[in-house]
Amino acid sequence: MGSVRPQRVQRKDFDAASEPVAAGKGDLTDPKPKSISEAEAIERAKQGDEAAFEVLYHLHKRRVYSLCLRMLSNPTQAEDLAQEAFLQLFRKIGTFRGESAFSTWLHRMTVNVVLMHLRKKGLPLVSLEETIETDEETQKKELGGEDVKLTGSIDRLQLQRAIEKLPPGYKTVFILHDIEGFEHNEIAEMVGCSIGNSKSQLHKARLKLRDALKFMRAEKAGT
Amino acid sequence: MNCTDVRRVLPEVMDSAQDTEFQAHLKSCPHCSELVADLEWIASEARLLAEADEPPARVWVRIAAELKAEGLIHEAEVPRLRPVLVPQRRRWSAWWLVPVAAALLAAGSYVINRRAEQPVASNTVSKPETPQVAVATPPANQPASQPVPKPARKASSPQVVSDVPSIEADTLDDQQLMQEVSTRAPHMRASYENDLRSVNAYIRDAEAYLQQHPGDEEARQHLMDAYEQKAFLYQMALQQAQ
Amino acid sequence: MDRMQRTTIAGLAIVACVAIVAAAETKKEFRFSVNGRANVSVDTPYGTVTVKPGVANQVLVTAILASDRVELDNGQKGNRIELESHLLKGGDEQSGRVDYELTVPPDTTVSLRSTAGPSLSVERLRGDLRLEGATAKVDVRNCSYGHVHIRTMNGPITLTQVKNAHVEVTSISGDIHLNSVDGQLVQVGTTSGRIFYDGDFGLAGDYTFTTHSGDIEALIPGGTSADFNAHSVQGHVQSDISLSPKEHPMFPAELGRSFFGTMGKAASEVVFKSFSGRIRLKHADKTN
Repeated sequence: MGSVRPQRVQRKDFDAASEPVAAGKGDLTDPKPKSISEAEAIERAKQGDEAAFEVLYHLHKRRVYSLCLRMLSNPTQAEDLAQEAFLQLFRKIGTFRGESAFSTWLHRMTVNVVLMHLRKKGLPLVSLEETIETDEETQKKELGGEDVKLTGSIDRLQLQRAIEKLPPGYKTVFILHDIEGFEHNEIAEMVGCSIGNSKSQLHKARLKLRDALKFMRAEKAGT
Repeated sequence: MNCTDVRRVLPEVMDSAQDTEFQAHLKSCPHCSELVADLEWIASEARLLAEADEPPARVWVRIAAELKAEGLIHEAEVPRLRPVLVPQRRRWSAWWLVPVAAALLAAGSYVINRRAEQPVASNTVSKPETPQVAVATPPANQPASQPVPKPARKASSPQVVSDVPSIEADTLDDQQLMQEVSTRAPHMRASYENDLRSVNAYIRDAEAYLQQHPGDEEARQHLMDAYEQKAFLYQMALQQAQ
Repeated sequence: MDRMQRTTIAGLAIVACVAIVAAAETKKEFRFSVNGRANVSVDTPYGTVTVKPGVANQVLVTAILASDRVELDNGQKGNRIELESHLLKGGDEQSGRVDYELTVPPDTTVSLRSTAGPSLSVERLRGDLRLEGATAKVDVRNCSYGHVHIRTMNGPITLTQVKNAHVEVTSISGDIHLNSVDGQLVQVGTTSGRIFYDGDFGLAGDYTFTTHSGDIEALIPGGTSADFNAHSVQGHVQSDISLSPKEHPMFPAELGRSFFGTMGKAASEVVFKSFSGRIRLKHADKTN
């Protein structure tokens, strides 16, 4: 027993635009939009092709916006930061040489934009108060309580709500690790904490979510 | 390994290579295995949220507008319009900026003093731009360009004021300035474009006001300030070019 | 490719990038000895420059170069010290960044120029200052007795506690904030940037604030002693403060377009001029 972690959801195939591209210039104005690869879109964008920028935007907009929304819990701010992340990317697209995946580059840039925004607002990225809770106290929480499996009894909306309510420090690490797929060493570097702290924060975040989801389920059941 | 041990090592082993002692305990302890299953489920469900939300359409609209404003989006196959008054193309190096900046100040002083001495002549307004030059054309929302409750401004026309030929050259110089900036510091292009628009609007307004109030010291000072600001802009571009 | 492999590759790429960046960034330190009043100039296209007072007779410089695509030249001729960074081939605003931190004798003459910034800041000096930038943000605080000349294209400018100084500040579209700034001459001008003054205009100074379309706002405390003249050609002008009438105003009276009058003994002369911007004089303790 002890399940292997589920496979990561596959990213959309870059060889096909996932949705129709708005009318623009050149090949992309076909009524049935011809597919354009990401690599080709990047090269065209370097030449200032508006339609190519739009293709890249549509390919990655959900990822960027979802990350911003999850971290900020504010759609207006999420829009602003998503816009800023794309603008920063597009301004620098001339320097992209393909050494790493374009999506990795954009992903990293988005996280930096969001973290900088949180820092400017003085919001904690990793809360010290949250780490004060000792391991002993955490273990007591883990050992107590009714154990009934969560799987299948909670929908994604409830999970989203529970994530929104996490304390800021736990939320940051949880989003970066479990939703966005960064490793602890990357998270530690980005938010300025130790790898051990990142792991501890993640574990506590998951425990809090587990408690919150059980509470939601109990409420729903009327118990 | 007992339950307490499992809780202690969980943050470390949960997402990493499987620990055999840990696995053995989970097989025998429903309590711990339920906990691990729940935490793993939370992690797996969370991953599905990575692309859960779609931004509204206005986000792309704003991005596209900004890219255009910064000149990162090029209009394909649109011929670059040249001012009709330019007989031939001249090749420039950045050093032309120095005498232009000085000429701006000198021309400004000349215009100010001429206007102070002469009565208003008809139809001799010289504007430092032509309609074809996008940079110098005032945008519609510039407050100073709005109609004002004063005698109507004389219709502008790109006529050369023969006694101050350098004013006409500002049009070409503005274009060349933007070309230099676009070549040497493209990321600064939007800044220069906005500021050039501002100072040109200032010059236009101050000139028009001085024309209507030729003896007005305040009007003269405004025009002088406007030329100084433009000369400063050229100086900054020169520093950028070096 | 499964998640583990992709994550590993992405992780290695990121770690490699971080290592490369960290390795490329270099720190340089310089120490210059001076005898008498020093004159220090720093010229950098990208980067922050911070200047603070230090010990007499010594100028200390710490410079952090973002990569090997930028070079730093330095030189000393007597008490004149020059630092200049310039881009090498392939350098850009990221890789060409150099951040400077300087400590200088308090009476040093300082000239700073940064094209794109992000910032130039000077504090607690008594010497002359000349700061220039295109988009760089400029911040000067607690500097007195010297000549302060600042110019930006659209970088915002903030002066705080600059006393008994000769001040000339210009920006095309950057906002200018002056908090407790006074001196024999204070001249501030913008084209479309806004000007905010918060202070009492000191004693016996000449103050001129000029804009094309930017608004001008002055907050002044009771007890201010100044002679005010304000005029906007097309913008609205308003004084929330009751001024004593004066006989020879600088501008013709025009309702909503000008105001003039005195407060206290009219020790300082203050002129607000705008072409189409709004001008407003307000009580500092009755802000809305």
